[in-house]
Amino acid sequence: MNSPRRPDTAMLVRERLSRNADDTDALFVLAALRVNEGRLDEGLTVLERVLVLDPRYPGAWTFKATLHRMRGEPNAALRARAKAEEVER
Amino acid sequence: MTQPAQAPNVVKLKVCMAGEAMVGKTSLIRRFTMDEYDDRYIATLGTKISKRILPATDPATGAPADVHLMIWDVMGTRTLRDLLKEAYYHGAQGILAVADLTRPETLSELDGWSSSIRLVSGDIPTHVVMNKADLAGERAVAEADIEAFCRTRRWPWTSTSAKTGAGVEDAFRRIVELILASRVGDLTPSANGGGPPRPT
Repeated sequence: MNSPRRPDTAMLVRERLSRNADDTDALFVLAALRVNEGRLDEGLTVLERVLVLDPRYPGAWTFKATLHRMRGEPNAALRARAKAEEVER
Repeated sequence: MTQPAQAPNVVKLKVCMAGEAMVGKTSLIRRFTMDEYDDRYIATLGTKISKRILPATDPATGAPADVHLMIWDVMGTRTLRDLLKEAYYHGAQGILAVADLTRPETLSELDGWSSSIRLVSGDIPTHVVMNKADLAGERAVAEADIEAFCRTRRWPWTSTSAKTGAGVEDAFRRIVELILASRVGDLTPSANGGGPPRPT
């Protein structure tokens, strides 16, 4: 018996964004997909858009800290981590 | 004159779901928080937090407590799991690790999820949930195999059906009990027990 398959994530993101360009769930995942493809700058730009739309989006500040660390920006990573602690308290 | 009732302590807990896509993580949360079930599969995108307040007993003091349970639902997409592990699991105090009784590989994949989580949150309490118990005719994992898998890892487990609701309340309560019991030593170094027994 074949295992059921989750629909392709990139396709889901495209569908959701075609209906609503400000869909923060889809944008959050788009940011992760871009980073996963090695497009770190693009991923960070998309993630920053998520945080403009919803500054309390769960996990977004922590993800931002991760991306700054990946870019070799420790101070920006610390600031994002501090913000994560503040909003998720 | 009557004494004013003492307000229960508020304990805020973050519990994260873990497990492969389509095992029923979102359906379990929906059943637990809203007592609803929807047969359609809608893949989770991004992160969702659901909340429920549970009355409990603080095992450190025996006093009543209100547990404000924040349940983080995450995507079962393995390709993004490592990238997003900190975003999802930072600050988590417990894990509900979900597998599907009709898909044996979803149980073994819990090792991958657990490894990823432990890199971020350390050795936090984990309760395994074998979901889709209503699909008895399609069951593909023997109870002995689940027991052996979980015993080796010292993870308690229960089975659930998000569809019928069977076992769902119990699973969430057990992870709360595990977390509270694990905190007794931190809260009262001289405590000599009194907490609820860990579920087996």
